[in-house]
Amino acid sequence: MIDFVLPSLGADMDVAKLNCWLVKPGDTVHKGQIIAEVETDKAVLEVECWDEGVVEELVLAPGPTRLPVGTLLARIRPLEGAQPRPSPRVPTVEEAVTAQPTRPAPRHGVPSPPVRHLAHQLGVDTARVAGSGPAGEITREDVRRAAEPVIGREQRVKASPLARRLARETGVDLGIVPASGLAGLVTAKDVRAMEQVTPAPPDLPVETTEPEGRSETMRRAIARSMAHSKREIPHYYLANHIDLDRALRWLTAQNEERPISGRILPAALLLKATALALRGTPDLNGHWVDDGFRPSDAVHLGVAISLREGGLVAPAIHDADRLSLEEMMASLRDLVNRARSWRLRSSEMSDPTITVTNLGERGVETAFPVIIPPQVAIVGFGRVVDMPVAIDGQPAVHPVVHATLAGDHRVTDGHRGGLFLDALDRLLQEPEAL
Amino acid sequence: MNKEQARQTIFEVLGEIAPEVDPATVDDSSDLTEQLDLDSMDYLNWMLGINEATGVEIPQRDVSRFLTIDGAVEYLVTHSG
Repeated sequence: MIDFVLPSLGADMDVAKLNCWLVKPGDTVHKGQIIAEVETDKAVLEVECWDEGVVEELVLAPGPTRLPVGTLLARIRPLEGAQPRPSPRVPTVEEAVTAQPTRPAPRHGVPSPPVRHLAHQLGVDTARVAGSGPAGEITREDVRRAAEPVIGREQRVKASPLARRLARETGVDLGIVPASGLAGLVTAKDVRAMEQVTPAPPDLPVETTEPEGRSETMRRAIARSMAHSKREIPHYYLANHIDLDRALRWLTAQNEERPISGRILPAALLLKATALALRGTPDLNGHWVDDGFRPSDAVHLGVAISLREGGLVAPAIHDADRLSLEEMMASLRDLVNRARSWRLRSSEMSDPTITVTNLGERGVETAFPVIIPPQVAIVGFGRVVDMPVAIDGQPAVHPVVHATLAGDHRVTDGHRGGLFLDALDRLLQEPEAL
Repeated sequence: MNKEQARQTIFEVLGEIAPEVDPATVDDSSDLTEQLDLDSMDYLNWMLGINEATGVEIPQRDVSRFLTIDGAVEYLVTHSG
């Protein structure tokens, strides 16, 4: 039997709530399949399964309890002949064992009649619900949360203001409206279409805002991670001006030939060049763990993505150095759109090996970024500005970007960082080779 | 497509990218990316959404026409046939 545990969820993200299951006992699951949704302080994450088999038991029901990384969530029976593989994440099992029972906490007595009634209405088995009330009693809220697969989606749905207003006015449940907008957004058109198909279930809540307080908890999570970084990591900073004349001319010519859906943004070019430049300086790519550096063979490029509600996330584009420019652009678009609709995957949050921040998008000329532990370097790109440059001894005005590197002095020195920035510059002078 | 239809489509797509934006507060003649804090991905998604909603293709050389609402409306009215 394979234990499916709550995987690592990224730096300083060591607890999460189980929002809902996307599988049930008896279902066959395969490697990479998303089987549950959890919620951390920073994001709602889709959790992948890394084994093949049949779901034997869902050990925990969805609920408000904050579960430590490593908590047993389900048991999976491997397919005949398949070898169970260890989880790619490192669970903190001791922590899980001491802090969180793998079964719902013991409770006193039975739920009160109103709570039992609600549970019956929503089809929730109270024997599998962890109580959050005084002395572990099951509350109405616990029951509602346990019914998350039905209700929770509706609460988290992304919709345009017009769609929300229409949904309120017409009583349409936003959670069951098929979304046709970008990044899974429900549009007014979708609500109107739904209104004609079905009446709204009368007993479901129509509140559709993001869970309250997420900005505050995200701010706290960023504070923890950045304070840790500034306390522990001796940063050094390097910067270079990189002439983008050739790269941007080439990109514009490429984009002229492409439909709008196939167009490539300069950001994708910068990410690709960064991933390739790391091949020459692998000591910038990896993690600082247990007082030592663990280099990573793969380049999982974290991308800092700011959210409209405030705060930011930095999920990974996996194996970024192996992607074509088109694939890089597609991955970037997918990642940004999912980050902004709170649909990231646990592996994307847990395994970036280096991060890139592109503050230039917001008009800043130079970024001095802070390393995200346990990574050991971060690359910053500022705004592309027209600047005078010397070409063969003659002045010319070219688009130039200020590229910065913050490195961890415990792992590398400025010389290595300088080699990386040089390689980055060289690669961007030959954009057609990227 | 007339001006009013073009404007409505433009704001419907914009609402999907920046749901908090109230069309009444947007200045139709000033730079949209600065006004609404849109990054290059938002901007690309917006033009892609307009393209999907109207069928109007926006070649790279015309992208700058979409820097303002006024510019985008004019472009759609001219090119939607």
